[in-house]
Amino acid sequence: MSTSTKLNNKYSWFVMAAIATALLIFGGLRDGGPLTQQDRIDAITMRLACPTCQGESVYVSRASAAEAIRAEVARQVGSGLRTDDETIAYIEQRFGGQVLLVPRSTGVDSLVWALPIAALIAGAAALGVVFRKWRTTDDGAASAEDSALVDAAMASDS
Amino acid sequence: MSDKKRVIKVAPIAATAVGIVLVCLLWVLVSAKPNPSENADSPLLGQPAPAVVTTTLEDKPFDLARRKGSWVVLNFFNSTCVPCRIEHPLLLSFVQNQLSTDNPAELYTVINDDNDSAVSAFFAENKGDWQKIRDTDGSIAVAFGVAKVPETWIIDPNGYVRLRIAGQLSEGLLDEQLSLLKVQFGS
Repeated sequence: MSTSTKLNNKYSWFVMAAIATALLIFGGLRDGGPLTQQDRIDAITMRLACPTCQGESVYVSRASAAEAIRAEVARQVGSGLRTDDETIAYIEQRFGGQVLLVPRSTGVDSLVWALPIAALIAGAAALGVVFRKWRTTDDGAASAEDSALVDAAMASDS
Repeated sequence: MSDKKRVIKVAPIAATAVGIVLVCLLWVLVSAKPNPSENADSPLLGQPAPAVVTTTLEDKPFDLARRKGSWVVLNFFNSTCVPCRIEHPLLLSFVQNQLSTDNPAELYTVINDDNDSAVSAFFAENKGDWQKIRDTDGSIAVAFGVAKVPETWIIDPNGYVRLRIAGQLSEGLLDEQLSLLKVQFGS
């Protein structure tokens, strides 16, 4: 493979990565438009765990505790006095951190977000090191032992 | 060859590191002691009690803020809940015992996800002439973080939450805890 082709390949990967990153950022930051009150109630209750159920959100649960929380969320959204995050914080203050389905991004909980990213970066770095080693150690040149074997084979043929 | 040697050296170090982490985790699990207290934790302990504005079964207004000056005991109750029914005689004894103390505590039943007639029938049959307050939309339960009944809360005369007992009461627990709180925070 020529040097120019290698360079072209490098640039095309770089361009693809840049486009993918830009699209992800755009998708993540895009304003989805104003939400209705019911949309907000649904979004908040999907982030809260039913305190008396196993693995169910307040949004899906029909338990009385979940219904009471749903009603409280509806009241707070209806009053317009609290943001979605403040409403979730209110419920968390009452029932504790175990009511959160989406872990916080602060304190020890932030490890849930940070560790997979750290593992991904460490894995990518390790792969990079291994691939680099493969390329540098396997240069295709015959070793002295290889040459001796070939010489011996040719001598026996002649 | 030198790479192989390096791999051989790194492997025991990595295994030792992982082993140390696992031993530490095991030590944390083994050495962790269960909470010896019968009292449940809550972020509300030591905080001003949430606002409770509602009505009683007799349709009289109830505002917790107006009960300042008295120790208040809120017992979250449902007439179909078996532990609630089992602990009922203990609440009757508690109210009786409080009559002989200075500044007796006021007991209120908070009706949780139940209808008025079922609660009235239960108290008619099992006695208990204290006030029963409605929590029709569950807002009082959410404000206190009550997920399951029974739960019992103690609020001091200044309106601060002092104790949460999650689950069924044991004999004498409420009297004992209230006496301790009165000593600690003044009656």
